[in-house]
Amino acid sequence: MSDVLARRDRALSPEETEELLRDRLGDGLQRTVLEYGVFTVWVEQDAWVQAATLCRDEPLLAYDMFDNLFGIDAREEGFDVVAVLYSTSTGNRIALRTRCAGGRDEPTCPSITDIYRGADWMERETWDMFGVDFPGHPQIGPRILTVENFEGWPLRKDFHLASRAAKPWPGVKEPAELDEDGNVIERVPHIGDAPGPYDLDKAMAEQAQAMNPRPELDGPEDDDDADDEPAEVEAGPDDDPTVSGAEKAEARRKAQAEARAKKAAERAGGDGDEGAAQLDQDVYDQLIAEGKSERIARSKAKAAYIKAQRAKEGDA
Amino acid sequence: MGLMDQVELPQPVKYVFNWGRKYSLWCFNFGLACCAIEFIAASTSRHDFIRHGVIPFAHGPRQADLLVVSGTLTDKMAPAVKRLYEEMPEPKYVISFGSCANCGGPYWDSYSVTKGVDQIIPVDVYVPGCPPRPEALLDGIIALQHRIQNESLKDRIAGRRQDPITLGADAPLALEEGA
Repeated sequence: MSDVLARRDRALSPEETEELLRDRLGDGLQRTVLEYGVFTVWVEQDAWVQAATLCRDEPLLAYDMFDNLFGIDAREEGFDVVAVLYSTSTGNRIALRTRCAGGRDEPTCPSITDIYRGADWMERETWDMFGVDFPGHPQIGPRILTVENFEGWPLRKDFHLASRAAKPWPGVKEPAELDEDGNVIERVPHIGDAPGPYDLDKAMAEQAQAMNPRPELDGPEDDDDADDEPAEVEAGPDDDPTVSGAEKAEARRKAQAEARAKKAAERAGGDGDEGAAQLDQDVYDQLIAEGKSERIARSKAKAAYIKAQRAKEGDA
Repeated sequence: MGLMDQVELPQPVKYVFNWGRKYSLWCFNFGLACCAIEFIAASTSRHDFIRHGVIPFAHGPRQADLLVVSGTLTDKMAPAVKRLYEEMPEPKYVISFGSCANCGGPYWDSYSVTKGVDQIIPVDVYVPGCPPRPEALLDGIIALQHRIQNESLKDRIAGRRQDPITLGADAPLALEEGA
């Protein structure tokens, strides 16, 4: 017992662990990675069981607690299986990782249920989600997480979600949305962009916007028109195949800026009766004269107007 | 129940009978996810649906009148919901609480989530939200009680159900059924 109850100050460092494992496993150990505080040991498929046994039984390692086991879809190369082990005596954690034999068609990985009983259900779940078979497992079926008549392996990358086939993603923004040239569209949320449904929310959002002017990159930003902009500029210089991508992007940006400016001018003129009625014209003119953007001037003038109205109401 | 599914009660009796039924809804909470926490919040002192006569201590489905499905229903769990619902005695009511129970919610494309509890059991009231506030549950309960007050027990026991109520989408409570 004294061997197993090693003290924490005698815990092996990752380098020492690697040295020890390399000594015992030889070529069975492929490489080691220390990332995000997790020490990962890649082992050959043939050395998988031996590595797990070694981790448990070697007194200096003493990984006596089986933490978890899961699969990873490695695309063309097939599937990986990772087992995370923990040592209650040294406080070390290690991840053993191996690539399954059999590629994508029939991935198999030897079972380690003989070494760690806790691996039983973990391997069943891995089989259920990825279709990785574990020879030596006492009973891999029936399916444990999905319903018993489920078809397919749902965590594989090539598993098709039936709902998505019938209907596209209903959300407004995909996580990585691309424009026509394949560049990632970066959307930076700004303070006050999405006010709640109530008047108070809108007033607070406006106030917040006025206090936190957004950095001006290229021309005034105009978010509420963002959705219908691409349609407007489509007839621009995009059709010319001789123009390079960078020039195209530049031209599009210019066209968008023009469209925005036009729209802003229209709005200022068009719904003037409503818009102008709620602006403090003096403040607006002054800010424009100072060289502030039209948007900022509008919001500040609006805030000044509201403030003045409130003061008036207070007097009354 | 004998004749109750064949004979309509006289109006005064029906009124008193339904009034008694609507204020003693023994509730069976099928809490499956975070919406169950909102259900619990609705049952505690701040919102306190017990003051509306909803009693959240049914000993089991056989003693319950109202089933509240709150949370994400998976295909694996669906048979259990179906079975427990069938164990409840008629007349029985179902509130589908939260987006997941209504239609799958954020898991609309999941491989394992049932897209709405109404695929397996009939629902009386849909409470939308992700999760809905406890007030929304109170609103749903009041809508249900309103329906119970005005319904014909004969029809209910014979299995004739009215169309489900969707909170927020249907007419306001005061306009429905000529109250």
